[in-house]
Amino acid sequence: MYRGREGQWAFVLHRLSGLAILAYLLLHVVSISLILFGEEAYNRLHHLYDLWPFRIGLILVTAGVLYHAFNGLRIAIMDFTGKGVAIQRQLWYGVMAITILGTLATIIVVMPRVVQGV
Amino acid sequence: MIRAKRFEDARAQAGSNSELAWWVFMRISGVALVFLVLGHIYMTFLMASEKDTQVFDVVVNKLSQPVWKLYDLLILALALLHGVNGARYSIEDYIRNKPDRFWVKAVFYSVVALIFVFGALGLFIISPEMLRD
Repeated sequence: MYRGREGQWAFVLHRLSGLAILAYLLLHVVSISLILFGEEAYNRLHHLYDLWPFRIGLILVTAGVLYHAFNGLRIAIMDFTGKGVAIQRQLWYGVMAITILGTLATIIVVMPRVVQGV
Repeated sequence: MIRAKRFEDARAQAGSNSELAWWVFMRISGVALVFLVLGHIYMTFLMASEKDTQVFDVVVNKLSQPVWKLYDLLILALALLHGVNGARYSIEDYIRNKPDRFWVKAVFYSVVALIFVFGALGLFIISPEMLRD
């Protein structure tokens, strides 16, 4: 499975995106749960998240989720259909295409709001 | 970590029943999370401005409804299990020293368990009464 080339890239990116998503998930749960301590506590942190670097960070998180989701489906197809292994390289290029297109769509939707500050 | 391409290979490689069960769980929870998480991102990030979703009232109103409590609780449980098990694969791959590995795992699992309780508590407790504070 790990003879370099695309399969190795697929694995490295899957692991990195997975760990990044977990880090974001833990932070996200803690942030939203501040609601337990009332509006003041919640808003103090979320006003920080309104700054543009954090909002662009969310686009990166979305890109990571897209990659991890569709490459994960590629892994499931390889594992359970028995036919997926033969076309794993083509599937990975499909995963990359979906990730890039989905991320571009996200940028097109989100960036105008970030630029306008809304 | 099982490095197999097919279920039959995974079964042959698995050192234990629990290892094979986790291997299967990663695939099943993963497929469910594709829909749950992409739906969550679409609703809270693409359809709504993240600046709006950060407004306290919007979040409280949404998470006061049982269906969204359940939806987010499902993501919380599945994603944390999936994510923690994935991180365990990395820990076992990169930390080769046994005592170190034990402590890293112990601390990591404890922190995640606390965050799960915190998140689940938040989901259970949120109600419209909080808006009148």
